[in-house]
Amino acid sequence: MGNWRLKEIVVMAALAVVFGVIYLAFLPVGNILVGFMGPIGYEPIFGVWFIVSIIAAYIIRKPGAAFISETIAATIEFMLGNSLGPILILVGMIQGIGAEAVFAATRWKIYSLWVLMLAGMGSAVTSFIWGMFMNGYIAFAPSYILTMFAIRLVSGALIAGVLGKMLSDALAKTGVLSSFALGKEQKRKKAA
Amino acid sequence: MFLHSLNPSIKAITVILSVILLTLVFDPITPLLFIVWIWILTIGVGKVPWKRYALFFSPFLIFSVGMFWTTIVFANEPNNPKNVISLLGFLVPEEDFTTALALSLRMMSFTSLTLMFILTTNVVHLILSLMQQCKMPPKLAYGILAGYRFLPSMREELGLVRSAHRVRGVNRASSIKESIQQSKRFAVPLLASAIRKAERTATAMESKGFTDSRNRTFYRTFTVSKKDWLFMGLMLMMLILFASISWYLGYFKWYSSEF
Repeated sequence: MGNWRLKEIVVMAALAVVFGVIYLAFLPVGNILVGFMGPIGYEPIFGVWFIVSIIAAYIIRKPGAAFISETIAATIEFMLGNSLGPILILVGMIQGIGAEAVFAATRWKIYSLWVLMLAGMGSAVTSFIWGMFMNGYIAFAPSYILTMFAIRLVSGALIAGVLGKMLSDALAKTGVLSSFALGKEQKRKKAA
Repeated sequence: MFLHSLNPSIKAITVILSVILLTLVFDPITPLLFIVWIWILTIGVGKVPWKRYALFFSPFLIFSVGMFWTTIVFANEPNNPKNVISLLGFLVPEEDFTTALALSLRMMSFTSLTLMFILTTNVVHLILSLMQQCKMPPKLAYGILAGYRFLPSMREELGLVRSAHRVRGVNRASSIKESIQQSKRFAVPLLASAIRKAERTATAMESKGFTDSRNRTFYRTFTVSKKDWLFMGLMLMMLILFASISWYLGYFKWYSSEF
């Protein structure tokens, strides 16, 4: 974290805290869906839980933003009362690694919509592998597992990738991000 | 208040270790005994009011029940389809029933561990302890503390945005499309003000001489003492004890046998 400015760290932490609360708020929504539809109930909204990685990485554009923000958000979510417990911190790390890996593949240089969508799908992949073993999805029938995975991928791309980008762009328009990578990029675009 | 005075980092590591060990086990008896043990510990030793505990626990109970029936409904083909038991008038393969019970009880044992941890641990103490015992960079730790401090003010801010909307005559959403637009009208100002506040806080911290150096002193210091290790040892011993009881009763099963 040597090349991070304190400003960037505090802003990332603030975002992570806010989204930690939002993550927790979506848990009952997921639980209700699960109550009706079974474990697959979580899948359509699963992308919500990846969104802070995308937003933090898109705004700050430094190695580790996706991973660390997701980890902090998971920690906050767990401290406010998620059933998974401290293991949730590990889940957050695993989701963060998925998104971070995609950004790493572009050497933390490209932040187009496609990359953000891929990053959301990256989180979906890593979190699903985890869920297979830890939540015991592996005990389900293969076709059911495959359906779950497909829905989670789409949710990761749309909710985390597309919605995350839209939200960040709307924030950049207000001018609060003028000293961050995203705000600077938008300023350059305007000048050009 | 034994549970409250434990070192937060060690307590967290103990809980994580217990969770990892519990995931390796795939029988209903071990988690069941462990749940009872955690409840005794939380309510008896930790002195958490049981009504409050029940309030926290009930949503997760619903989730466990959901987990239970879906595992039965969507289970893979059982190895011995002949052994069936009757459940609410339905005939269910015994193997599927045990698997479902193990999965949902495991979920509940995680919940119990979590509640034991969060009901006896202060978030600020946890972060300070992570910085002092687990080498978390001070920049990150104080950054998170600053971010965490914004939480209570978020509610106030939400009220402000709502009043601002009302003053300007913005109607409440009635359709799905409108409610999406409305959530954007709330999210953007809330996030923008959080970012502004975070930026200001960071500037203030730096102007007061905050650095990332590890050679710093702390107003509140956290140490690891004998009783922390005692707690960790006790928890793991109990888990092994419960697993052996389950083994003795002939229920014990490793996770790997599921593949």
